[in-house]
Amino acid sequence: MTVTAASSTVALDPRRNVPGTRPGFSSTLHSEWIKFWSVRSTTWSAVMLFVLGAGLTALICATNAEWLASSEADESPGSFITFGMTFAQITAVVLGTLTVTAEYGTGMIRATLAATPRRGSVLLAKALVLSGTLFVLGTVTAFAGYFAGNWFLDREGVGLALTDDGVLRSMVGSGLYMAGLGLFAAAVGILVRHTAAALSAVLALVFVVGNMAFLLPGAWGEWTAKLMPGNAGSPIAAPVSFNPELMAPWPGFAVFAAEVLALLAVAWVVFARRDA
Amino acid sequence: MCRAPARREASGHDSSDSPDRGAAMIDVARLTKQYGAKTAVDGVSFTVAPGRVTGFLGPNGAGKSTTMRMVLGLDRPTAGSVTVNGRAYRDSPAPLREVGALLEARALHPGRSARDHLRWLAASNRIPVARVDEVLGLVGLEAVAGTRVGKFSLGMGQRLGIAVALLGDPPVVVLDEPVNGLDPEGIRWVRTLARRLAAEGRTVFVSSHLMSEMALTADHLVVIGRGRILADCSMPDFIAEHAASFVRVRTQGGQVADVLRGAGADVTPVDGELHVQGLDAAAVGELVGDKGLYLHELTLVRSSLEDAFMTLTASSVEYTARDGAELAGATR
Repeated sequence: MTVTAASSTVALDPRRNVPGTRPGFSSTLHSEWIKFWSVRSTTWSAVMLFVLGAGLTALICATNAEWLASSEADESPGSFITFGMTFAQITAVVLGTLTVTAEYGTGMIRATLAATPRRGSVLLAKALVLSGTLFVLGTVTAFAGYFAGNWFLDREGVGLALTDDGVLRSMVGSGLYMAGLGLFAAAVGILVRHTAAALSAVLALVFVVGNMAFLLPGAWGEWTAKLMPGNAGSPIAAPVSFNPELMAPWPGFAVFAAEVLALLAVAWVVFARRDA
Repeated sequence: MCRAPARREASGHDSSDSPDRGAAMIDVARLTKQYGAKTAVDGVSFTVAPGRVTGFLGPNGAGKSTTMRMVLGLDRPTAGSVTVNGRAYRDSPAPLREVGALLEARALHPGRSARDHLRWLAASNRIPVARVDEVLGLVGLEAVAGTRVGKFSLGMGQRLGIAVALLGDPPVVVLDEPVNGLDPEGIRWVRTLARRLAAEGRTVFVSSHLMSEMALTADHLVVIGRGRILADCSMPDFIAEHAASFVRVRTQGGQVADVLRGAGADVTPVDGELHVQGLDAAAVGELVGDKGLYLHELTLVRSSLEDAFMTLTASSVEYTARDGAELAGATR
């Protein structure tokens, strides 16, 4: 048996490496930033977001420009100029979900929380990295889609200027709505901790249940539909909504933002208390 | 002292054998964790002192990992407390610089490279980036630093986990089943590393469900079964107390047995042999020689530590194979 004398050991200052002050929040943020961009799924999602958002907008504008210019048109070009963003929003949901559930799926969440036991900081850093990236990406994609799509609309004389009512707002709004959707998905991810479950729940709620809610009868049903996260949040991302029953852009976004924050608050409470 | 210590009073610790408060150590006091109706860890108290390897031994499901997760502030104790270097883990300003842990080998995102995994960890505790390549070299993974860890073998993943544990050059090192999935060379490497870390004055806390591994690595042993401490003592004491020995004697006729009994020994005939307890081999030989009797065999038999561990934990094994097959082979 290899039992050596304990007397040969050296006294080691247990805190010799420990700095006097806590590494600040910027360290947690930096850490989450490295984590976010060091997996391929992030790059892929970002590329898909751009391709779907800008590409589909250009495509739908190219194929509908002539109709929009004709007298038969019963839709506004303003509904088409951010059309592709609806599909790009799916990637935002995917990215938001994966940021959280990939950690739970692999058990890496324990490494994260062992490194940064202040769970609120972890959650805040994750939220900032995710929403910041999605805001920039969403806005850039919306602009790219605008310039590409508007080229076709202009040729038919139904183009929109950036200074036209709601156009600039919808560009920035696309970024804001993306960021909100990502956070919404991340919050559900924290609560559910399972990629497939979180993803299907959010996609169903935002893109399917939201639309079906308009079938509900009466004023009660109408308001339920209007207040659904996808319905309340999306008008900000288009100069003119396809659906005239939706709320106005900014009030709608305020409702959506409140819903996202409420869900994040619940996620925060659960995250702070739960065993990792 | 080899028995489970009496539950400590709320007032504090028995100062006699706990090292001074300034030392790097883990102090677990009346720690309890319940999951619903099931008690995973039941009022466990022990200290892990610096300068030696403390083995945390128990069958699968005994509560080892749960205890370790509570040490690291990951799971919230139902009752009791645990401090590292005198404070709760969560209160450390930069925990990775104070406590390095290998939790599960696969607590990694398969799509991230080994270097990136260490980079984000380093960033979170303001550990210089240079240290990342240093620990990669230390565990022998520098050649695959840029490879996605999804392509790693179990052993490579385990090495990366150990690199994570050493990243902050911590005075306290916690390793949960570090040799799982390692080949013999890797097992030897972990053993040497653990001993070296302890020799450097660090507090080393290693869990395992393999007694044989602990016997080679640990100076001190904390044995847990069904969430309770079954033994807390030095390895030599554990061996002395639990590895029972007897003298095997082969002879013909019943005279030898009578002689030995006459000398106060406890003699049990087993399959034509005599198992003698209470006398050592030399005494048996001399007694028999004095009487002019013959022996065909005289052997000192020590039951293995594995047996001792099995006996100790027999009543506390969570899942026993129905045919009584080996527990030690089970994976965790």
